[in-house]
Amino acid sequence: MSAILLIAVPLLAAFISILFKKYAHYILVFVSFASVFALEYMDLGTITVGGFNAPFGIVLILDDYSLIALYIVNTLFFLVAILNCNEFKKVGSIMLVALAGLNGLLLTGDLFNLFVFLEVAGIAAYLITTTNKKPLATFNYLIQGTVGSSLYLLGLILLYAMFGTLNMADMASSIASSGYGAGVTAFPFLLMFIGFGVEAKLLPFNSWTKGILANSNRLTGPMIASVYAAAIGFVFGRLLTNVFVIEDTFLIIVTIILIFSVVAGEAMAYASTKVREILLYSSVAQAALVVVVFMSGFTGWAVYLIIGNAAAKLVLFLITNTATKQLGNDDVETFKGLFVNNKIIGLSFTAVTLSVIGLPMFLGFVTKMNILENMFVSGDYIWPAIILITSVVEGIYFIRLLLNLWYKENDLPEVKFEFVLKYVVVIIALLIMVFGVYTEPVQESADDLVAYSYIEGGNL
Amino acid sequence: MKNFLAFIAVLVLGYMIVVSLDNNEAFPAYGEADVSSRVSQAFIDRTVTEDPGDIIFGQATNLESGPANIVTAIVADYRSFDTLGEVTVLFVSSLGVALLLGGKKQKRLELNFHPNFMLRVGSRALFGIILMTGVYIAIHGHLTPGGGFPGGAMIASSMLLLYLADDEFRAKIKGFKMLESFAGTAYVLIGLTGLLLGGYFLENLLDNGVIGDLFSAGIIPIVYVLIGLKVGSEISGIIDNFLTEEGV
Repeated sequence: MSAILLIAVPLLAAFISILFKKYAHYILVFVSFASVFALEYMDLGTITVGGFNAPFGIVLILDDYSLIALYIVNTLFFLVAILNCNEFKKVGSIMLVALAGLNGLLLTGDLFNLFVFLEVAGIAAYLITTTNKKPLATFNYLIQGTVGSSLYLLGLILLYAMFGTLNMADMASSIASSGYGAGVTAFPFLLMFIGFGVEAKLLPFNSWTKGILANSNRLTGPMIASVYAAAIGFVFGRLLTNVFVIEDTFLIIVTIILIFSVVAGEAMAYASTKVREILLYSSVAQAALVVVVFMSGFTGWAVYLIIGNAAAKLVLFLITNTATKQLGNDDVETFKGLFVNNKIIGLSFTAVTLSVIGLPMFLGFVTKMNILENMFVSGDYIWPAIILITSVVEGIYFIRLLLNLWYKENDLPEVKFEFVLKYVVVIIALLIMVFGVYTEPVQESADDLVAYSYIEGGNL
Repeated sequence: MKNFLAFIAVLVLGYMIVVSLDNNEAFPAYGEADVSSRVSQAFIDRTVTEDPGDIIFGQATNLESGPANIVTAIVADYRSFDTLGEVTVLFVSSLGVALLLGGKKQKRLELNFHPNFMLRVGSRALFGIILMTGVYIAIHGHLTPGGGFPGGAMIASSMLLLYLADDEFRAKIKGFKMLESFAGTAYVLIGLTGLLLGGYFLENLLDNGVIGDLFSAGIIPIVYVLIGLKVGSEISGIIDNFLTEEGV
């Protein structure tokens, strides 16, 4: 099966669904399930669109990397869709467009096509966040997202003026063979980096995050913090490893941005007294960490960092937003003792949180341990130090949160979690634990992906 | 303070643009780029798959890409997939406007003047002319400047004229929705047909004909007419959403 169907079919379904508004959410669930299922039958390789070979036409790249990305994003998308399809019927068609946009982002091998899908997925995201009923926050997101993608486009225009091609692999090889220093491409890459930084929630380009995620509901929280974060992380990784040349001044600027993001994200999470704010600032720090690991060249472990984080944020935001809706607000005070009567949910929440901190027996530990090891081996001591210190901070605020959620004598908050949600949450928590103990497949696949290098001439 | 910081940020960005591009050996000065080494040269000569030799307007046949208009050849043939994406951007934007502004019981926003008889009749006469110009531009997109997007915008502007010149006018939105859905579906289906029969999504399966003829360039005029219909109906829908309000 051609991977283009992953984009074409959701799009076709979206165009048809506006005539059958009442059934749009059923179409959504069906199509998102079908795309997870269809991934099994996709042939790896380069998919040429329109019959013109790269670098002239547009190509989609389906290699091991994008296949993993598609599995993760489509599965998470399906879970979010099936848990929310009855409550948010109105955004059914928009979610279908979002699915097409995200799959396009992950598949494309063309820098301008990437911009188009960034716009498609972005506008769908702005519209999905309107269900928060916070118009000003959504407007902020809209403006910042649009400025971000315009900066990406400006950077791309400059690159096109220099090298006359839009294909990712062709661009990378033209830059490599041109013989110019890293200085000539630093500015366009910086613009593109900022453009993606907005979507990836890197400080200081992420002031939209608080308005969106701190007011999120059961749809937008998991959608933005888990599905979109994973997709943007994967695409960013593709650019960082295959296209960007990160050296000299550019490296220094980017490193400062990233250190700032990690440290400030963890510090702000530490200072927060609302559950959703703690989660969102932790997401900011994690997103920056993903970029760091990609830049250091440990692609396989960056992928696992994205997977672990996306799965964790899905569970955490689902539980938090379900509880917030029933309790009225998300102060840690209100949430006190939430898990005393909801032990299963509580255990899953705890397992996932401990994995994010990176305690042994969980997937997060395997990932963090290997990243640190690899960094030490390659002679980098600054980032391991920062990661270790911030992990301690992370440990303190998450364990403080867990203690609050588990212990209270009387006057317990009453929250009901439905069966499907419990099921999803427990399965994810179990998977995180299983792969935390049984680490061999993780280790092997991550090492395989490290060897992955860029694609010659736009074709596999 | 905030404004001042923003001003500083803009200055820094401007300074960086100048510093990084001034005397940048890779960045060609205006008009001095070596076009022959770029992908765009192949688009102009139509030499991506095979070399057709000299292309003579009105005579050359069976080119790899049929439109006489080079911009259309790039936008709707070589990079047609991007155009499908752009169509989707407009589609999801119009969905968003409908999501935010479209309620159940709607009535027209009142104009603060009452249009007289001449204005109403005159605008209807003009409506037809503007509409036909829009259709013409969309149909001739592969020959002359224009195409589906400008043509569609022009079609929608004829609707806007009716809305502004008559305070009781309301279009049948249901029809626009059907048209929008039909055009989008047909575009994707054309793409899927290419995938099924030719092996490539959005492949141009029809005969390209003689360059410069109205009936040439294979699927491109069809796609452009569909885009024109889609853009026209979407923007008309947006106009209707903006000019109506939730009534009692």
